[in-house]
Amino acid sequence: MTNNSGTDRAAPLPAALRFILGISSVCGVIASFMMLAAVLITCQMIFIRAVLNKSTIWQTEVVIYLMIAATLIGLPYVQKLRGHVGVDLLPTLLPLRMRRGLAIATLAVTAAMIAVMLYYGFDMWHFAYQRGWKSETVMAYPLWIPYLAIPVGFALLLLQLLADLWLSLTGQPMDAKGLPDVGPEMSEDY
Amino acid sequence: MDPLVLGALVALATVIVLFSGIPVAVGLLIVATFFLFTFDGPRSLQALPELFYGDLNSFALLSIPMFIIMGSAISSTRAGPDLYEALERWLTRVPGGLLVSNLGACALFAAMSGSSPATCAAIGKMGIPEMRKRGYPDEVAAGSIAAGGTLGILIPPSVTMIVYGIATETSIGRLFLAGVLPGLLLVTLFIIWAIFDTWRRGAAGVALSGVSYSWAQKFEILPRVIPFIVIIAGVLYALYGGIATPSETAAVGALLCIIVAIVVYRMVQPAALWAVLRDSTRESVMILFIIAAAGVFSFMLSSLFVTQSVAAWIADLDVNRWTLMAIINVFLLVAGFFLPPVAVILMSAPILLPIIMAAGFDPYWFAVIVTINMEIGLITPPVGLNLYVINGIAPDISLKKILVGSMPFVLCMVLAIVILSAFPGIVTWLPDVLMGPEA
Repeated sequence: MTNNSGTDRAAPLPAALRFILGISSVCGVIASFMMLAAVLITCQMIFIRAVLNKSTIWQTEVVIYLMIAATLIGLPYVQKLRGHVGVDLLPTLLPLRMRRGLAIATLAVTAAMIAVMLYYGFDMWHFAYQRGWKSETVMAYPLWIPYLAIPVGFALLLLQLLADLWLSLTGQPMDAKGLPDVGPEMSEDY
Repeated sequence: MDPLVLGALVALATVIVLFSGIPVAVGLLIVATFFLFTFDGPRSLQALPELFYGDLNSFALLSIPMFIIMGSAISSTRAGPDLYEALERWLTRVPGGLLVSNLGACALFAAMSGSSPATCAAIGKMGIPEMRKRGYPDEVAAGSIAAGGTLGILIPPSVTMIVYGIATETSIGRLFLAGVLPGLLLVTLFIIWAIFDTWRRGAAGVALSGVSYSWAQKFEILPRVIPFIVIIAGVLYALYGGIATPSETAAVGALLCIIVAIVVYRMVQPAALWAVLRDSTRESVMILFIIAAAGVFSFMLSSLFVTQSVAAWIADLDVNRWTLMAIINVFLLVAGFFLPPVAVILMSAPILLPIIMAAGFDPYWFAVIVTINMEIGLITPPVGLNLYVINGIAPDISLKKILVGSMPFVLCMVLAIVILSAFPGIVTWLPDVLMGPEA
């Protein structure tokens, strides 16, 4: 989409912002490799069970943890790519100024919601860590390890949302939905 | 507060929040959090991350990223165009052969990629220019590919069906089989309409003429299309042979498809492999986020007794079951106009399924009906993802022409829903024969 608004193209992004966008991209790489690891471990599990006729113990659990972690760690990256789908009918119908206003409001509300998830998510992780909760399986993994993905993922998503909010408020050009568009760098990434 | 009034408030709040353009997953979390906080007290918020985590904590869910990786690997290769070429070379003598091979290639590629927009793009890139070159009307060329692409969510393996299976705790294997014959029914209806439309627009001559290919040309293309078809067949065989669960077979399928992409299609550049991983991560994360958020949302609904009350209320209304089904269809259709299929299924299945079961409908039959409704949403504005994909690959066909070409196919889908309602056996026969009657 090249629906840039009438606003002037903003100056180069400040270092702090580029850093946050960079972190989100790294998250994407980590999440992708976690998914790939899940594919390989699942295949290894089937090989051991079907070909070597042995029983498997740790794989199922680890693969689930990898998928959960990949989902949460991937959140900021997908936000950066504008990959979280929404009903964008109303935003695209609004005049440009209102479109930006609405996008700022939804970004702020989203950030608030994610902050709530982060707060209680940290609590949940902290409890599991302090009280040494273990998974109810043969392996009895300490649960704080998989739970860690929750506060970390939401914290990173919050960071990316705040970056988007900052870009919106400073008048960065918008895409069709009114969200800030950081130019070719972002679309190339997609 | 009366749970029914509360339910109406939740519905209203959800519509308002989602129409702001906020990501669907976040919107669902916000509505759920607000109502839990207001009616169950602040303490209920402590459960939020646990619910979120709990919804993702399932091995069955793993089949979603696995099938997405598999489809993404296939879509990144030239498999789509190759498949189209192969069918075109073999079906050239069939009347309307080009349409048959385009829609057939859509159906096959839909099975391989499991994604509607990917199918549209893969087949349309070759199919649309070829059809236009041979004199088919623009409307027919664009409409048939837009409609053919929607088959991606019905023909197995389908991510939409997996999500339905997880949301309703029905068998994913059985759901896959349930989609096969309705998928073929739709392809047949699409082909009939496309040929009729070509004739109606005065281009009957082109539909009958074919280019002839030598046997050498017919055979040389096969090695390029066979591997993926074999993998898909193998995955489905392993699934139904009871050798492995959907998640396991999908993981093996994903690995094999990546290997075939590297070996057969020479996809050796790291950048190309990274693109496959990145695109599948992007889509998987988006869907899994919605799944977790929808889990929190449906927890809120049942914790405030909305789910149970709505089901009881509808049962008390004592309407004719087909009237009920018609109303549900309209609801799904409207929801599908605005929301992606996965979100509609996750939000409505927990409420609709008890109602459907109480009215004596088969949950597998209903899955197919839901999916066809979602297919319609893919080729109707305002979201109509496939319309925009076609617009992207054939920019000189106006969106209006694409729309005019696609609308009759919507009617084909409505007709399919009517046929399947009259003959539900088309859905249930195959799973019953291959997997035994439902327990």
